Amino acid sequence: MKEEFKTALVQFPCKIGNKQHNINKIAKYAKQAKKQKADIIIFPEMSLTGYTTRDLTYELAEEIPGPSTKKIGKIAKKENLYIIYGMPERSEKGKAILYNTAALTGPEGYVGKYRKMHLPTHSVFEEKRYFRLGYQTPVFETNIGKLGIIICYDIFFPEITRALRLQGAKIIICISASPAVRKKFFETLTTARAIENTCFLAYVNLVGIENGLQFWGGSRLISPSGTIITQSRYNEEDISFGNVNYEDLRPIEAFVPTLRDLRPELYVTLKELSEKL
Amino acid sequence: MKLTNKLLQIDPAATQQKITRFIKDYVSKAKAKGIVLGISGGVDSATTAALATTAIGANKVLGLYMPEKETYNKTDRKHVKLLAKKFKFQLKTINLTQTLNTIYKTIPDYDPKDKLSRGNLKARTRMLIWYYYANHQRLLVAGSSDKSETMIGYYTKWGDAAADITPIMDLYKTQVRQLAPHLGIPPAIIKKPPTPALWPNQTAEEEIGLKYETLDLILYGIEHFMPTQTIAKQLHLLTKTIATVKKRWLQTEHKRQMPLTTKLEYRTINADFRLTRTTEAI
Repeated sequence: MKEEFKTALVQFPCKIGNKQHNINKIAKYAKQAKKQKADIIIFPEMSLTGYTTRDLTYELAEEIPGPSTKKIGKIAKKENLYIIYGMPERSEKGKAILYNTAALTGPEGYVGKYRKMHLPTHSVFEEKRYFRLGYQTPVFETNIGKLGIIICYDIFFPEITRALRLQGAKIIICISASPAVRKKFFETLTTARAIENTCFLAYVNLVGIENGLQFWGGSRLISPSGTIITQSRYNEEDISFGNVNYEDLRPIEAFVPTLRDLRPELYVTLKELSEKL
Repeated sequence: MKLTNKLLQIDPAATQQKITRFIKDYVSKAKAKGIVLGISGGVDSATTAALATTAIGANKVLGLYMPEKETYNKTDRKHVKLLAKKFKFQLKTINLTQTLNTIYKTIPDYDPKDKLSRGNLKARTRMLIWYYYANHQRLLVAGSSDKSETMIGYYTKWGDAAADITPIMDLYKTQVRQLAPHLGIPPAIIKKPPTPALWPNQTAEEEIGLKYETLDLILYGIEHFMPTQTIAKQLHLLTKTIATVKKRWLQTEHKRQMPLTTKLEYRTINADFRLTRTTEAI
């Protein structure tokens, strides 16, 4: 397993419903990332289809693995890197059982998926109308370490990032489709999650305008001390590269020992209290 | 939350950037050749025109000034010409007096005393001409409605609010007044009393019964789910005043939505067909 690797963060405006166009973009950027010797490339939430697919989600959703996963899997093999991207997933058990999912594929083939656990259904968001909640918090074994993935609104719930960190993920990848009015929240929370878990955090956000919603981009790789290692431009299509070195965790973990100082009994209290909310 | 003017403060540069990005993006995705809009000489249409020229270039913006005898105002005319010169968009002046007279004569039950129906007819006639140019020159119609007027339904249904995009609809009037100077709109245009120009000497604030500075704070409170009593208390106004604004907001929802039907089948227009504009064919 590599102790040090290079990440590529990509934000591009998706064409809603045009998977082939979006896959072509993924292929183009994967090629570019490989030239820069990146080990992993990350695309935003729902980047296969665009975020605001609404009723078309039923039609656009695919099983994972499925046709699009295979196409992107080929790109990952060809370019010899890991690719994380978002897409609407359809369960093999039902035509309308859909998930907002992040898929991970790599040089060795399909690795796994994460189904979004917290689905925003307020303000302009209507995810629960279409998607079922995810129930698993998996981490993925790769040759660049254990990867944990969360999606957008999940970042408002620190317990999920913590659950991934407690399973040994030292980098958390958060793919997102965040509109401009939420920028401050995400800029704060991404840094908070990295610091409180002493982990790297790669945040990759959509750009472009869908149905009047302006996605602000600003993708970033954050170090365990909260430093921004690299950041993409706001509002514009962009790719940025940043290095992760797990060795950097050693001094941070020693002097910000949040994992050592965890109080498990509080989680029991939290469970009880949140059930009575 | 304390209802003060501070809450309505905007960052004009950031707001301009967001709106121009939106206009440019939508015109491009709609594959339109540009934008047509009504220019009245008021701050809303002046702001919308300025934003459109910044977004897509003045040569792609067509402004239509459509005066008519009853509400003709020399100052407005001067302001319209000033705007076209300053922002370099093409301006056409179309006198609607004769057209309106013909329409009045055509309607068998036309009642000259019913000034509201006649006034709305004027707004809708202007809309007809915008859409003629939109069709003929493959342009998009940009509406100039602001959030204050839209929330209380102070506009003509299928008239001045009929448009393909409404770039400043998420800005209250007092916020438009903050954005306008940043865009270079002359102070005389920003400061003059707003009017829908449906009949002579009509002013919006007189008709609404509140200054926009007050109305906007009431609407801001409503927007943020504040109870009527709390808004009244904070603004030192009668509960009745807030209730009247709230009533106007609720009772005019029919103006802000597509026509209502009753649900009969599996998926119903505007009820549970949910799509995004600019979706690619799949």
